[in-house]
Amino acid sequence: MEAPSIKKGGEKKLPPKIVILGVGNLLLSDEGVGIHVVNELMKMSLPPEISVVEGGTDGFGLLNIITEADRLIVIDAVKGGSSPGAIYRFDLGEVRNCPSGFKTSVHQIGILEVLELSKLMGKKPQTTVIGIEPKSLEMGMELSPEVRSKIPRVIELILDILKVDTKH
Amino acid sequence: MAKKITIDPVTRIEGHLKIEVEIEGGKVKNAWSSGTMARGFEAMLIDKDPRDAPFVTSRFCGVCYSVHQLTSARALDSAFGAKVPWGGTLIRNLVMGAEYIYDHPLHFYQLSALDYIDIMAVANYKGKDKDLLAIKEKVVNLVKSNDTHPLTPRYKPDQFCVKDPEVVITAVKHYIDALKIHAQARNMGAIWGGRTPHYQNIVPGGVTSFPDINQVVRFRTMLDEQAKFINEVYIPDVLAFGTGPLWELAKMGLGGGHYNYLSYGAFEKDPEGKSLVFPAGVIVGLNPANIKVEPFDPQKITESVKFAWYKESKPVHPYQGEQVFDLDKKEAYSFVKAPRYDGKPMEVGPLARMLVAKNPQVLGLVKKGAKPGVVARHAARAIETKLIVDACYEWCDKLLSEMTKPGFKIHDTEHWEPPEKGMGAGFYEAPRGALGHWIEIKDKKIKNYQAVVPSTWNASPRDEKGVRGQYEESLIGVPVPDPENPINVVRVIRSFDPCLACAIHLIDPHTNEVRKFIIE
Repeated sequence: MEAPSIKKGGEKKLPPKIVILGVGNLLLSDEGVGIHVVNELMKMSLPPEISVVEGGTDGFGLLNIITEADRLIVIDAVKGGSSPGAIYRFDLGEVRNCPSGFKTSVHQIGILEVLELSKLMGKKPQTTVIGIEPKSLEMGMELSPEVRSKIPRVIELILDILKVDTKH
Repeated sequence: MAKKITIDPVTRIEGHLKIEVEIEGGKVKNAWSSGTMARGFEAMLIDKDPRDAPFVTSRFCGVCYSVHQLTSARALDSAFGAKVPWGGTLIRNLVMGAEYIYDHPLHFYQLSALDYIDIMAVANYKGKDKDLLAIKEKVVNLVKSNDTHPLTPRYKPDQFCVKDPEVVITAVKHYIDALKIHAQARNMGAIWGGRTPHYQNIVPGGVTSFPDINQVVRFRTMLDEQAKFINEVYIPDVLAFGTGPLWELAKMGLGGGHYNYLSYGAFEKDPEGKSLVFPAGVIVGLNPANIKVEPFDPQKITESVKFAWYKESKPVHPYQGEQVFDLDKKEAYSFVKAPRYDGKPMEVGPLARMLVAKNPQVLGLVKKGAKPGVVARHAARAIETKLIVDACYEWCDKLLSEMTKPGFKIHDTEHWEPPEKGMGAGFYEAPRGALGHWIEIKDKKIKNYQAVVPSTWNASPRDEKGVRGQYEESLIGVPVPDPENPINVVRVIRSFDPCLACAIHLIDPHTNEVRKFIIE
């Protein structure tokens, strides 16, 4: 990784802060895939401007994490109707919070709602969601084989995004 | 003819709740509260090492994780025979104190305030204040671009909604200021918990990480900012609304319910826990002129499953509780069981705590004519936040002084190993109300585990005697002049700060734009 560039006059330009946020419930098998992914990422050595955060299912409570980020990558289970283990990638704005937005997650205050709130605070980070289609939402701390086998590919996709984002 | 309306889901709450009410003559005649998500995470704990329980139970809920972790650790403290040193208790208090400081203002601004203001009045603001004009522009632009979420959807403003543009725009400013302050409050818990969410430091016997002075100083600095907001913005707002535009609702006692109140007690003020910030106690059939508080007896708790989707059984104590689903049960309408104290339904939460404590400020409002209900609930929540802020300062001082003593301890290491067998109960007050965890240990493993959460008390269905739960009872008689606009029903329900089975957090992009996704 490159050292922060030094501008004329010796002023340091800080690299943008990137947050990788895994969300979901670890007790509901594939619902917790985002957590499993960030737990893998935490074992890797990443540049210091990148934080890896386990977000659980706290909606409002993630405001501190979201508003501190310049760039946000969310990893979550996404019900898009494809076969289990399918991977989605979309930038925020593609999933619009229409008036029925409150129904976007069963948890009434979801990650999308919190991003909308960060907009009101004037601190909405550029956000990409990487989603994985779940197979099972039953109680259990293990992922289904279909979803588990996709974790290396999800990590590859994240690292690809980081390669682009950390190129200054 | 009675008309039945269903609100499913109730929005701006944590979790999934369905409310059905029958309206006759413009008032609620009957009500049903249904938790529509199955719980039963307890089953996952069977045969695990008991010390796993605080970490697993912390995942029951993405919002209330710290209080589950703490209550679980308290159940283990009692089963292991551990005595938490004063230093450990002080740090536990600070973690939970930060939780209250975060939770209560958030409930008022983000989850409730929109029920009491006509947000669109912002457009009529004629003042010159730069900050407020910026907010006006922001909201007007959102409306123009048809992107007003999360300020909408909403019910139609009624006569109790504040429409004065000056007041409304100030409230919206506070709504936004509150967001900034919540973000900081979440970081306060992380000072002790190591991270947020899902803290790592609370274990049976105490806490894991030795504090240093810098942590206390950082906590205090953030506390100063929180205290400023709570004392200068939050409490004045709640009291100004409660004794001003909402005074009619306060006098009416909208959303009163059974007038039975239960507090398990929380926040030790001394090493032995003889004195608590929130005392434990029970009030049956409140008489505001002469409040009688009985001592809390844990043996009097039972749970009825008569109207819940569980295998039929007589009401039992949580130690004997089971989670066997029976989805074919005809009369059942909820996944929430019906906990009762001495056979009676109870309200738990801030109002219960402040009445059990005979808090002079809350009693002062009652004396002035406010009947216990929606408005009193909001007021009690604000008033107790201040008690916690003040206590946090004291705990910081006490911790600093404890830290200098030789032999300063944060954990009872003598009792870290699980016993061969044993039973233990942990009681605490979550921001939303009384929380209990019960554990039975056999062969050093978990044999049975049960949690009765605050919203189980408040959102419970009818019991075997057909007596309604607290939400249900508090809806009886609530005015609903227009069945298309049941704003009073949601005011009542939201005043309890429901948190039901906050479990699933899936993104479900049900828009056409789903096709834009890159799928592989």
